[in-house]
Amino acid sequence: MSTVDELGPYLPNLAAGLLTTAEIAGASILGAAAVAILLGTLRAGRNTPARAASGGAVEFLRGTSVLVQLFWVYYALPSIQGAPRLPPTVAAVLVLSLNGGAYGAEIVRSGLLAVPSGQRDACHTLGLPRRVALARVILPQALGQIVPAFGSLAVDLAKWTSVVSFVSVQDLLYWGNTVRVQTNQTVPVYLLLAGCYLALSGAVALAFRAVEYALPISRARRRAPAPGRPARRAALVRQGRA
Amino acid sequence: MSWDWAYAWQIMPTLLRGVGQTFLVTVLSGTIALLGGLLIAVAGWTGPRVAQVCLRVLVEVTRGVPILVLLFFAFYGLPGAGLRPSAFLTGVVVLGAVYAAYCSEVYRGGLASVPGTTWDAAAALGLPTRVTWARVVLPTVLRANVGALANYIVILYKQTALLFAIGVPVLLTNAQVAGYESFRYLEPFTLAGLLYLLLNLPSVWIIRRVERRVTRGGF
Repeated sequence: MSTVDELGPYLPNLAAGLLTTAEIAGASILGAAAVAILLGTLRAGRNTPARAASGGAVEFLRGTSVLVQLFWVYYALPSIQGAPRLPPTVAAVLVLSLNGGAYGAEIVRSGLLAVPSGQRDACHTLGLPRRVALARVILPQALGQIVPAFGSLAVDLAKWTSVVSFVSVQDLLYWGNTVRVQTNQTVPVYLLLAGCYLALSGAVALAFRAVEYALPISRARRRAPAPGRPARRAALVRQGRA
Repeated sequence: MSWDWAYAWQIMPTLLRGVGQTFLVTVLSGTIALLGGLLIAVAGWTGPRVAQVCLRVLVEVTRGVPILVLLFFAFYGLPGAGLRPSAFLTGVVVLGAVYAAYCSEVYRGGLASVPGTTWDAAAALGLPTRVTWARVVLPTVLRANVGALANYIVILYKQTALLFAIGVPVLLTNAQVAGYESFRYLEPFTLAGLLYLLLNLPSVWIIRRVERRVTRGGF
């Protein structure tokens, strides 16, 4: 029997596994973004206790790998009295969000701090409330650096999802291993898996490119391609703002 | 169920053996990663166009696929090719190869940022190619990128836990075995997590110091 004949009956299972992997990846990327924004803004902020606490949380979460944390949450946590026994998918998304969020927090922090301090001073001089200054001036510029870096973290997260097969989530790797045991077609199965993960990584990377393209700062850069001052001023004059 | 100190004490030797294996894997894989990455980068830099393209594709594929897939592929696929390496050897080589791909990107970036005038100066002094590489270019690249390379070694150390998948007795594997034998997972996994964390903490500090020392000196 040829390879295609042997693997054919399992293709729906592998497709379902790919869907599960993609769902977990999507949920974890969104969760990681939320955690990253929260911890990152606290890390870059002025409140000293909050800065220390978030820094500690980041170091703690980055100190061990996703697999170790997942095993702890799935196997060890339920033996503590009163602690919940989380379903495997929930445990996986939780761990991936927290771990990815800790790495993302550093991206958010350095992105916020990379905005020249003159911008902050200018906001202060103009009397803009801090909230407005952050939302309308600092963040739009910081996002130009944050989004591409977070994109490559998101690609990593999509690959890290493969550890969930150890807590019996039926993801792409789980089905790949099952099909290998059933058919003994080791090389084709894992080549197919590699192809699927590459496609998933590519899709995530592409999605973040699209977000980057749509950012206000990217649109502004496209409008004034030369980074020199005269061009920017000319653009502002054209819009009647200067 | 509450924390049992006697049990925690009883499994400690098993866990510490796992720590030993974890360090051994980290050192061996790290060596492969640092030297292999350098080899890939230099080969890609000096080799013909075809070799460059092949290496880039190989590196991109290695970085785009989960380590677990590569690990299983090597572990179950190699016996089909007539090779039967131990789980330990498979794990060390796969981890080393994956991080060699990551490190090669660091070296490549470093090579690209060596100014053309450096090469010109070496040529003007009549330095042989080998001396130019060994005494001029590579020291510059290494000095500028010690931090990034060390960072990957720290990540490699954390990822050794993945070798659990093929049964290499690293720290996580031993914790799982201890838990499985007694049906108590709280103590082994908590202690394993703490050990991973504790052993990781000094590395950040050491990297910062080494980086400061190496990058400060210049020539």
